[in-house]
Amino acid sequence: MNSEKYLRNSVQKGFIFSIVMIFMMMIGFHVVAANLTSKLFGVQVLRGSIPEVVFMAYVHLFFAFIFGWGASDKNRPSKQRVAQGLVTSVTTAAIISLFSLLLVFLVEAQLDIREYLTAFSADYMRYFVLNLGRPGIITLFGIYTVTGLVGTVTALFVQSDRVQQAWNRAKTSVTLFWENANSKMPAWAQKYGKYVIYGGSIIVLLILPVRWGSYLNFVTSVVGLYIIAGIGLNIMVGLSGQLMLGYAAFIAMGAYSMALLNAPTPHGIMLGFWPSLLVGVVMAMIAALILGLPIMRLRGDYLAIVTLGFGEIIRILLRSDLLVDFTGGPRGIHAIQGPTLFGRPFNSSSDFVYLIFFFIALSILIYQRLANSRTGRAWLAINEDSIAAQATGVNLRGYKLLALIIGAAFAGLVGGIAASRNAFTGPNDHSLMVSINVLSLLIVGGMNSIPGIFLGAFALRGLPEILREVETYRQLAFGVLLIVMMLVRPKGLWPSSRPIMENIDKAKVKKAKEKVKKTKRKSKDG
Amino acid sequence: MLNVNNLHVHYGAIHALKGVSFNLNEGEIVALIGSNGAGKSTLLKTISGLLQATEGEVSYLEETISDQPAQDIVRKGIIHIPEGRKIFAKMTVVENLEMGAYLINDRRLIAERMDQMFTRFPVLRDRKKQLGGTLSGGEQQMLTMARGLMLDPKLMLLDEPSMGLAPVLVEQVFDIIEEINQQGTSILLVEQNAQMALSIANRAYVLETGRIVLEGAADDVLRDPKVVKAYLGG
Repeated sequence: MNSEKYLRNSVQKGFIFSIVMIFMMMIGFHVVAANLTSKLFGVQVLRGSIPEVVFMAYVHLFFAFIFGWGASDKNRPSKQRVAQGLVTSVTTAAIISLFSLLLVFLVEAQLDIREYLTAFSADYMRYFVLNLGRPGIITLFGIYTVTGLVGTVTALFVQSDRVQQAWNRAKTSVTLFWENANSKMPAWAQKYGKYVIYGGSIIVLLILPVRWGSYLNFVTSVVGLYIIAGIGLNIMVGLSGQLMLGYAAFIAMGAYSMALLNAPTPHGIMLGFWPSLLVGVVMAMIAALILGLPIMRLRGDYLAIVTLGFGEIIRILLRSDLLVDFTGGPRGIHAIQGPTLFGRPFNSSSDFVYLIFFFIALSILIYQRLANSRTGRAWLAINEDSIAAQATGVNLRGYKLLALIIGAAFAGLVGGIAASRNAFTGPNDHSLMVSINVLSLLIVGGMNSIPGIFLGAFALRGLPEILREVETYRQLAFGVLLIVMMLVRPKGLWPSSRPIMENIDKAKVKKAKEKVKKTKRKSKDG
Repeated sequence: MLNVNNLHVHYGAIHALKGVSFNLNEGEIVALIGSNGAGKSTLLKTISGLLQATEGEVSYLEETISDQPAQDIVRKGIIHIPEGRKIFAKMTVVENLEMGAYLINDRRLIAERMDQMFTRFPVLRDRKKQLGGTLSGGEQQMLTMARGLMLDPKLMLLDEPSMGLAPVLVEQVFDIIEEINQQGTSILLVEQNAQMALSIANRAYVLETGRIVLEGAADDVLRDPKVVKAYLGG
């Protein structure tokens, strides 16, 4: 009974795997993958717009192997695992063969179904069965069965106790090697080594913007601005625990302050970059104060909905015909001026990168000072338990409002710089998607963690810019990334670490050391 | 010391407290007993400023405090220990105690008080660097009381300190409450465990659906046939 059940699960897995494969074919995954491979590794695997047969074969082999690897349950005896692998592989192979039978039929009948499924060009279908026609069906069946089994056996081998033990030993010895190397370094290196590395990376950061082209500078600026925005939103969401979905509205405050005060149309005030930036920051803070006073009593979902509404109200106001003379309406404001520093105008793309680097550093400094202060502690307490926080004498409303205002100041800064950098701002620059993106970078990267915010901003804004090819699949990839993240790293890519963690790690290393010493002693005795 | 006069509290349409009046003299332990939903926790929250009264007033040392925000009431030396062991789970024991001393700026004083707490609650000393959430139920209760004591309060509002604790621990907690009282802190104790509460209290009030139905010296209340029937399982 039990044995039947585990095999039935394997059949199910086979169904899922093959459907995944078919789905990927239907969205033209192979073409995208081939495109990316060509770009990234400089290998030509495309013939025209269709991947080469060899490439298709590799994709089949790769996925068959992965499917086989994932086919068996880790905690079952090896015989059952092989059986599971076999059942899953055969099921996958059978369904994919049926699918390729359909493809071969379509090719032979010369039916054009691209009207319904755009990816199904005749070439693509032929190449999917490796350009072999009917024998290709059998070949695919063979590939998926055999490679799947190989995958299962490999998984069995890698996950076997002996290999795992060897791997653990290797890891321990690497840790020990590092510890030894560390303790043998001269005292100055131990003490100041970290600053040498910091200094080195700062110098690299200062040289890079001039060296790499304007495109990478553009990407760096976008990522940098999102980092500053992430730090600001983290003060609201991560530190004080207020879910804010209208962050783009504060960015809009900064951007429009810059645009209205420092562009020839519609008002032509031309106040200059720095005063306008300051006005933008102050305006964002005032907006936060006005929004914050009535919503102080709201928590959780209600707060999220109200702030979401606030963001939309600001965006709709900006694009309304009512204010078209004042804000430029839906067409936005053009020709916003850049900054000058000591009389030197900022005209190359690298200048802005330096400006953004400077503000990132400033933001981190402010953030760290705040998070480790009395104020930061109060926010943490409110975030954990507002009743207990009040009972210890924390001014709940005051600190929540303060978090909103400080977080909004960062947004004003980002808006001002972005508007000046792009020489343009419009209502569509401040849509809900911007707020969601900033929030997602916090979730993906890890709340309350500066490295996490960097990683998140790069993963959500940098990667999509670099991988323009997968533009069509950005939302898909984004969704998959979020799901995988939540499963694998529920606290973000680089979660914040509390001091307590450090102690545990040290204890672990100590234990490992003692173990090794013991084994050494034993081997000496023997 | 504490005077509550004709206090009314509403949760929207629900009338939770319907004109509660009582008083507490300096140095006393006063027990408030009553069943679930009688309004005991509501009363404490209103005194400490977490809830606003719709009518009536609370005065402390001849001064009206029912119109003041929670943090100002804490500053006056009234500490509320909420029910359900509301510690800061992601902070260490030391950080929790530091939060308790949030209104104190003098670092030396904080260190001194913390030392006192570790002497009074030796369990906490052993768990200094542990996260609050990893403590056992009894230890968490000790931690909330220690956190409250960091401000050296004149009046402590204790909400169900025995909730969910093993009988041995309950006795320990009540011993500590008596000890705190002997060192000069007045205590308003809300309890469902009427037997224990009345055994250490000077006076007691019985609260039922938002009204005080019985008051008197703790011993008298303990012997009252209605109380015996309703709360002591007699």
